Amino acid sequence: MFSMFRGLVGGKTLTEADVEPVLEKLKDHLIGKNVAAEIANKLCQSIGKKLEGKIIGTFEGVSSTVRSTLTEALVQLLTPKRRLDILRDVVEAKSSGRPYTIAFCGVNGVGKSTNLAKITFWLIENNFRVLIAACDTFRAGAVEQLRTHMHHLNALHPPEKHGGSTMVQLFEQGYGKDAAEIARHAIEYSRKNNFDVVLIDTAGRMQDNEPLMRALAKLIMVNEPDLTLFVGEALVGNEAVDQLVKFNRALANQSAAQSHQVIDGILLTKFDTIDDKVGAAISMTYITGQPIVFVGTGQTYTDLRKLDAKAVVHALMK
Amino acid sequence: MVLADLGRKITSALKSLNNATIINEDVLNDLLKEICAALLESDVNIRLVKQLRENVRAAIDFDEMAGGLNKRRMIQTTVFKELVKLVDPGTKPYVPVKGRHNVIMFVGLQGSGKTTTCTKLAYYYMRKGWKTCLVCADTFRAGAFDQVKQNCTKARIPFYGSYTEVDPVVIAMDGVEQFKKEGFEIIIIDTSGRHKQEDSLFEEMLQISNVCKPENIIFVMDASIGQACESQARAFKEKVDVGSVIITKLDGHAKGGGALSAVAATQSPIIFIGTGEHIDNFEEFKTKPFISKLLGMGDIEGLIEK
Ligand SMILES: Nc1nc2c(ncn2[C@@H]2O[C@H](COP(=O)(O)OP(=O)(O)OP(=O)(O)O)[C@@H](O)[C@H]2O)c(=O)[nH]1
Ligand SMILES: Nc1nc2c(ncn2[C@@H]2O[C@H](COP(=O)(O)OP(=O)(O)OP(=O)(O)O)[C@@H](O)[C@H]2O)c(=O)[nH]1
Ligand SMILES: [Mg+2]
Ligand SMILES: [Mg+2]
Repeated sequence: MFSMFRGLVGGKTLTEADVEPVLEKLKDHLIGKNVAAEIANKLCQSIGKKLEGKIIGTFEGVSSTVRSTLTEALVQLLTPKRRLDILRDVVEAKSSGRPYTIAFCGVNGVGKSTNLAKITFWLIENNFRVLIAACDTFRAGAVEQLRTHMHHLNALHPPEKHGGSTMVQLFEQGYGKDAAEIARHAIEYSRKNNFDVVLIDTAGRMQDNEPLMRALAKLIMVNEPDLTLFVGEALVGNEAVDQLVKFNRALANQSAAQSHQVIDGILLTKFDTIDDKVGAAISMTYITGQPIVFVGTGQTYTDLRKLDAKAVVHALMK
Repeated sequence: MVLADLGRKITSALKSLNNATIINEDVLNDLLKEICAALLESDVNIRLVKQLRENVRAAIDFDEMAGGLNKRRMIQTTVFKELVKLVDPGTKPYVPVKGRHNVIMFVGLQGSGKTTTCTKLAYYYMRKGWKTCLVCADTFRAGAFDQVKQNCTKARIPFYGSYTEVDPVVIAMDGVEQFKKEGFEIIIIDTSGRHKQEDSLFEEMLQISNVCKPENIIFVMDASIGQACESQARAFKEKVDVGSVIITKLDGHAKGGGALSAVAATQSPIIFIGTGEHIDNFEEFKTKPFISKLLGMGDIEGLIEK
């Protein structure tokens, strides 16, 4: 991609006129990698500001200047501003005698339930007991989907391996019920039965669907989960922006002013389906300023990773 | 749909041509810039957008054209022709035949809405008086058969599936065979979500297609998909004979521009769109009327025929 800079001669100060056509190409490049157009625009503007006035030497000079400016900006964007250590936080909650709770939310079909099951697996491997709260009471088969995962996970980690205790249990009250109430009962149940973590599965919903967004906000407000994860798929294009803005807004509107019950982190799924079109990772972090806590890289329990910021940026610059 | 939404924007961009006193290269470039930006914001594949830009540029030769009116018309016509190309592959969709079996197989990426849409399509035909049924050939996703079972039970659609058989090829074959014997007209096969990066999943899709010999294969795409759609759609088409496209989740904010690249990549028309989670949130999509509506949005109707 950096062949586009070959047109520039060395030994002069970069002007807006020099930079503009280059930035246009850069923007197209980012859009081609599935960065939302609006975000690609903003990124290019900020790169442009950093470039103008710079004195360029040889061709290599310009090329590496642009490359490093962009790389730096992107790596910085993808690097979490605050440390999120779920395992540590679970231990802390445990020591104060309460379960640690995580709520999963997002639009339809992005992978909430599947990745909830992967996180359950990861927690069990770390010897924590998990209660899954089946709060998708709408979509056909949603409860059975979680029950199947529970059976598989308990088969992989039978009580014999964990001092006789069953590692994962499903808390469900069937279909058509109020999700916020089920979550509340699940947390109660979890306190009484010494679970370490409660994972709350919610129904997929469109960010524009007000009644459903209100219902989600209520679930979050009533139950105040320790962590609210937004689940978004790496396949999503420009919609990433609208989804995150509106989920955040819906949750923020409902919460008490001082406790910021908004999206705490992102779970980026289907990362195995996009080759080098990794732009959604950029769009999502740019919009929220929140970290990508997990990356889903497949359909089995072990397909869960931490984000490799450098690898993402590398794919993006290719 | 993206083009309908874009219609107004583009029409106004085209109208600005009328205000320009001279039509030259710069005016055209500005216009193209505006249109292309709008397309990209709606997730239309960047290669298709670039192609559109080049095709319009190539079609307009400023030196050869005489009067201003002629130039305006040329530009408007070319732009619309190119837009129409995005949604019209020029092929006819498969039309089921009454009184015999029509096997329809669903394929697509994970979570795109196949299972939900299978039920919607079955319900659609059932209500029109066809003898309709559904085969659940997804043995991978947890709860997949329960999902089909609950959907079908609620809508009173006969279904076939298994909790014990693990091979989706066997289920598909047995289910289709049984339903054929029973004289069903519309036999819909739901399959697991899959992606091109995993060969074994694509191989499985081919096997199901080989044993069931579907009359039509429908590729289901989520309206929110971005730039990754094209290569996935093309890979599906290369593996099995995709004949139609359905775009789901158009009830949200997404305009479905990314999913449009599936039309070009599979050379298949959109036949339905999904507009909600309920069984009747489903609309027929007819390319030609859609285009006339699109063209009717401006004062440039009819230009395209000339
Ligand atoms: N390739 C791939 N597929 C995934 C990944 N995560 C989830 N999936 C698949 O995506 C599909 C949808 O996953 P679900 O977990 O049911 O999604 P959901 O968000 O809970 O869906 P709803 O509850 O219906 O809104 C399933 O086929 C999953 O196997 C991933 O990281 N990679
Ligand atoms: N809002 C909305 N949601 C839809 C639409 N079509 C499907 N969905 C939802 O999208 C999610 C995934 O749908 P499924 O039918 O399970 O998708 P799938 O392609 O069968 O998924 P896999 O079998 O896991 O690959 C569910 O929550 C559906 O309710 C639609 O048109 N609008
Ligand atoms: Mg779910
Ligand atoms: Mg399915």
